[in-house]
Amino acid sequence: MAIGVKVLKRPDRNVSYVRATLKGLAITFRKMLEPKVTMQYPEEKSAPEPERGAWAISPRWRGTHRMLTDEQGRSKCVACGLCPQICPANCIKLVPGEDEHGNRYPLIYEIDEFRCVFCGYCQEVCPEEAIHVGVHYENAEYSRDRFVYDLERLSAQTHPVSTLWDPSDPKGE
Amino acid sequence: MSSDLVSVTIDGVVVQVPKGTPIIEAAKQAGVLVPHYCYHPSLPSPAVCRMCLVEVEKAPKLMPACVTTVADGQVVHTDSEQARKARTGVLEFLLINHPLDCPICDQAGECELQNYVFQEGREGTRYGDYAKRYNPVEDFGPDVLYVANRCILCTRCVRFMDDVAGTPVLNVSERGDRAYIGIDQDQLLDHPWAGNVVDLCPVGSLVSKDFLHKARAWDLDKTASICTGCSQGCNIMIDTRDNTVVRLRPRPNMEVNRHFMCDHGRMNYRWMNRGDRIEAPLVRSGDRHVATDWDQALDLVRGLVGQAGPAVILASGGASLESLGMLKGMLAGRPLTAAVQVPLADAEAPLAGVPNLALRKERAANGEGARLLGYSMEWDPAVKVAGKAALVVLLDVALTDAEAAVVAGAGAVVVLGTIESQALAAARVVLPVTNTAEEQGTFVNRDGRVQRYEQARSAPGMGRPAWWIAAEVQGAAAATPAEAFAQVAAAVTGLAGMTYADLGVTGRMLRGASAAGSRV
Repeated sequence: MAIGVKVLKRPDRNVSYVRATLKGLAITFRKMLEPKVTMQYPEEKSAPEPERGAWAISPRWRGTHRMLTDEQGRSKCVACGLCPQICPANCIKLVPGEDEHGNRYPLIYEIDEFRCVFCGYCQEVCPEEAIHVGVHYENAEYSRDRFVYDLERLSAQTHPVSTLWDPSDPKGE
Repeated sequence: MSSDLVSVTIDGVVVQVPKGTPIIEAAKQAGVLVPHYCYHPSLPSPAVCRMCLVEVEKAPKLMPACVTTVADGQVVHTDSEQARKARTGVLEFLLINHPLDCPICDQAGECELQNYVFQEGREGTRYGDYAKRYNPVEDFGPDVLYVANRCILCTRCVRFMDDVAGTPVLNVSERGDRAYIGIDQDQLLDHPWAGNVVDLCPVGSLVSKDFLHKARAWDLDKTASICTGCSQGCNIMIDTRDNTVVRLRPRPNMEVNRHFMCDHGRMNYRWMNRGDRIEAPLVRSGDRHVATDWDQALDLVRGLVGQAGPAVILASGGASLESLGMLKGMLAGRPLTAAVQVPLADAEAPLAGVPNLALRKERAANGEGARLLGYSMEWDPAVKVAGKAALVVLLDVALTDAEAAVVAGAGAVVVLGTIESQALAAARVVLPVTNTAEEQGTFVNRDGRVQRYEQARSAPGMGRPAWWIAAEVQGAAAATPAEAFAQVAAAVTGLAGMTYADLGVTGRMLRGASAAGSRV
């Protein structure tokens, strides 16, 4: 079976590079005068605030986790076990314990961000509004084990938390 | 007989039940579970929770199904508009003061309040700003905490202590919405069967300190088993999480333990999770043991078993019927002394309200089964004989230093063990065996009831059931516990004709033992 080949007609005389060069330079000069669209990352960064305009990161963005804390700085988690239960990637490790006031709290709470698929179910299922996925995307580390976030690290995160998708307001208006 | 039966119609299903049956039990036969809190089949019914109200035709108002007995021709509607409205109302009242702390409550996932509210409770509350009453958590006794806020005052715990345990230390204190379960002054909930109040509690009000915060109900794998604490043979559920036994709970068996088990049995599970297990077959080489594979170890045992001379089996009283039977079969043809080790306690701890139910003196699960197979209970003489025997087989026994020294005098010692022990030092071959939680098998309780237990967790390393080892050594074809049981049963008159399938989940009496020790 023959392969269909289309032979293009190429000009074989009166070919000059001058015209093409001028054409290219014209585009270059025109673009120099137009407003710039490239973001100068990392000097310039996206932010969740709407004033960033086109560079705004969505408030529904689901990034690395953050544990919220109460007024005393303790994590709001009560170790109910719903997030490890619902997690489709099985990336949350939770060992419940009891503090000096008889309150249930997590002895160990670890999220393996490498395993996480950032579905946001943990935030959705949390009855205490403790664990959240964050509006945050810079997660680079120098070693793999640094990607297992323990409770201290999750509580120390300061980035804003995701609003997730609201079924009653699907377009976020 | 037929004159004692009455015919009732429950939700359109006609059932025949004996006279005097409460509607709630008749409904179970019709396949309808009437929601209830205070009713429990093993406790007297006070009809205080008002949850089981059902519509009975020709009755002026709704009737509590737990105390209303059936009458011939009665027509009951459990799911009529009126009955449903009554239940929704009761649930709304219960939730007025119930804290919504399901995320931290141990009962969540197996809570009857949670279940019924989810089924037919109101969607929202009508008590928006109402401050719920608050009482602090009380420590009731060795293993029981009382979380007063969650209590729905069904009084099952009070009735258990009054009528079943016969030690009335619990009461309902105060009145109205201030009511709570009180404990008599200077008293503790330390009855040997007190742990049952935790199971009886339909909500998370009475919680076990041992199980507190350990696991969520939905994480648990449940396996039907038999308690190994004594010779009573209570039916239990082993709850495991990630291959670790975290809790034992009673499993209803009307013939043995009804719905109860004692605290000794309840706490007797930590040994199942022990980490210092023998994980591979060990063979003596010079003055130390070297790990090997099953083929080599079994060949060695085959050689030892094949020799002549007196043999002795020293087994644990907690070994299964299959293991004890196959082990004896393995050494058939040699002069054999077989004994089991059964620890004895000083006293029984009976549960007053249930006849023939107690924590027995004999603290091993299968003493009766061993007797049935011809094992002797005379432990010390058997150990003496072992010192002079040509071959000693030890099955999961803990020997004292003195006993181990005597046994070391034997020609050859083969140990079938779970954990490292004194007896290991003298052993020619050490074979790893499974413990009760890691194998299937049968026990015979003191009344002669043969009962099965199932495997709850996987065995560590290369551990195998002892019956499998014995079958391999003698070349007998027994690949499953059912086949092993069939082989053992064939040789015992009391077990004749019994199969694994016959035993079911509640067990069967030995032939000829049915009337003697058991109750109806």
